[in-house]
Amino acid sequence: MFVLSGYEYLLGFIFVASLVPVLALTASWLLRPAPSGPERRTTYESGMEPIGGAWIQFNIRYYMFALVFVIFDVETVFLYPWAVAFNRLGLLAFVEALIFIGILVVGLAYAWRKGALEWS
Amino acid sequence: MNLAEGVQLVSFIILTVMMLGAALAVVLSPNIVYSAFLLGGVFSAMAGLYLLLNASFVAAAQILVYVGAINVLILFAIMLVNKREDFAPVKYAWTRKIVTAAVCGGLFLLLGTTIITTPWAIDSTAAAGDEAIYILGEHFFTDFLLPFELVSVLLLMALIGAIVLARRDIIPDSSNVVGQDDLKLPEKPRELVSAGADGESS
Repeated sequence: MFVLSGYEYLLGFIFVASLVPVLALTASWLLRPAPSGPERRTTYESGMEPIGGAWIQFNIRYYMFALVFVIFDVETVFLYPWAVAFNRLGLLAFVEALIFIGILVVGLAYAWRKGALEWS
Repeated sequence: MNLAEGVQLVSFIILTVMMLGAALAVVLSPNIVYSAFLLGGVFSAMAGLYLLLNASFVAAAQILVYVGAINVLILFAIMLVNKREDFAPVKYAWTRKIVTAAVCGGLFLLLGTTIITTPWAIDSTAAAGDEAIYILGEHFFTDFLLPFELVSVLLLMALIGAIVLARRDIIPDSSNVVGQDDLKLPEKPRELVSAGADGESS
């Protein structure tokens, strides 16, 4: 028994969103001239020539951004019920959530100090 | 069967087919990057199934954490190790396949018997539905407050641990400095030199 409300809109959105790529590709397939010449197979037609392969090994330092992102993503999950029920919870919950965020800001400050957030 | 139940059934069938197909493709795809992207499809279909089970918060968490973060982490891990190397074929590869099949089949049988023998009937109280997330929020800030705050300490520990572990690899030793032949992007050598200078000064 499905009791959640408002999800018929989600279903509609999924339907429309799944139609968009099909319609776009079909329309361009109907409208475009027949492909010809080697230029059509380049990555960026009339753009810069790409250098090297697209499948390269990434630098390890980019992994750190992903790690920090995962931590703050999990934090978002914990703050989500607080944000939804904000009106019902009152001032005390606001202070408690501030403590929760404050502890994690320490981690952000640490990451910043250690240069984990620098692209260079 | 009214319209809502029909839509529900069709959604369930579509999600199940999508999940099983994507999961099979994850295992069978020869390209590991495609496997990682298809894993995102598996996670998304699982989120849809959670929604059908009236668990909207679990579905949101599934999308946020698994599709948004874990899958990105897996992709990053793949891109870190994604070097095209000519691996020599292993001798007796078929024994490994047999062992893997036995382990996977045993796990499947174990989970299958668990699913069959577990009584799944839940009590007849109505599902919380839209109220569930409010109830969760109220529990977080009343009787589950201490675990909630401890979670932030746990996340802090995970963050600092991740930074400590990940930073260690940036500083190049003399033993594992990447040779010039391995570098393909023009900006890479400059990065490594600057990282090495940072590591020595700090």
